[in-house]
Amino acid sequence: MNILFVIICVVSIGMICLINPESAISVMLEGTRGAVDLSLKMTAIYALWMGILKIMEKSGLSYYVSKIFRPVTKLFFKNESKETQDIISMNLTANFLGMGGAATPLGILAMEKMQDGTERATDNMIMFFVINVTSIQLLPATIIAMRSTAGSHNPSDIILPALIATTVTTLIGIILVKLFTGVRKTRK
Amino acid sequence: MSAYILPVLIIMVLIFAFIRRVAVFDSFAEGAKEALKLIGSIFPYIAGIFVCVTLFRVSGLAAAVTKLVTPFSNTIGIPPELTELIVIRPMSGSGSLALIENIYETYGADSYIARCASVIMGSSETIFYVAAIYFSTTNVKKLRFAIPIALFASVAGAIISCLLCRFL
Repeated sequence: MNILFVIICVVSIGMICLINPESAISVMLEGTRGAVDLSLKMTAIYALWMGILKIMEKSGLSYYVSKIFRPVTKLFFKNESKETQDIISMNLTANFLGMGGAATPLGILAMEKMQDGTERATDNMIMFFVINVTSIQLLPATIIAMRSTAGSHNPSDIILPALIATTVTTLIGIILVKLFTGVRKTRK
Repeated sequence: MSAYILPVLIIMVLIFAFIRRVAVFDSFAEGAKEALKLIGSIFPYIAGIFVCVTLFRVSGLAAAVTKLVTPFSNTIGIPPELTELIVIRPMSGSGSLALIENIYETYGADSYIARCASVIMGSSETIFYVAAIYFSTTNVKKLRFAIPIALFASVAGAIISCLLCRFL
């Protein structure tokens, strides 16, 4: 992350300086302004979903919801506490249903619970991250809406290929994480 | 049909909580309060990512990288029209949505290219953004092989998406 940030920023600013040095600062400000806009938008989304999640937690509903992905969490995160497994399960459910606003706060919380105090990500954290970023969404709602706006005759005909693709990427991700963590363990 | 899913789920949550005698309104407020704290702690990371991505795009570096990887992505079965999407997708959600919009306009929403782009978008995530946000409140600095694996799976997903769109 660190190296990538430095390389991209240095090369980009250098390239901008060659063409139009006056615009360099305004481009960077455009970036932070975008971050402010997104953060405001996300504050609204998180306020709604974290409110609903709290209601689910207090009513005991999250206990039932977390059962949905219990087999998955038991399989991959069995050495984490029950509470952490429940949060992971809730995160996966939210991701599955396309509730990104609910999934992100749960994901961050799960990462906090899984850390072992060192600067290195644990095997479980990597597994959780990879499952999350290989997308396990059931319905790509945004894309379907965009296609129908763009005049598609059958905007939802991408659901099946997307579902297959997303299942395959998640499986590839899981296998690779298992492979890499396995290699390290046998080396010990 | 799918538009009903979330609203109906929320109605069920509210009724269930009310029957269970939960202080529904206070619980909502308690949860919502944490949203501000959460944004406060992840904003710096969003800012960093956004500065980097904006520079990457505006400077022309993104276009240069796209040009560089096009021959390679072409040989693994990704049409050249989609290379830019593959490059931008892991970094910026809004950036890739803009590219998709552009693809729909240029090639038509039902074209092969547009369908591939849709499937790629629907089966992938903004890897760098999620990495920055998910680890932001932990002590973790070394992500080890997390990002390479995620990127590899993502590219494999793009190849599979383009293949699937030929048949489905």
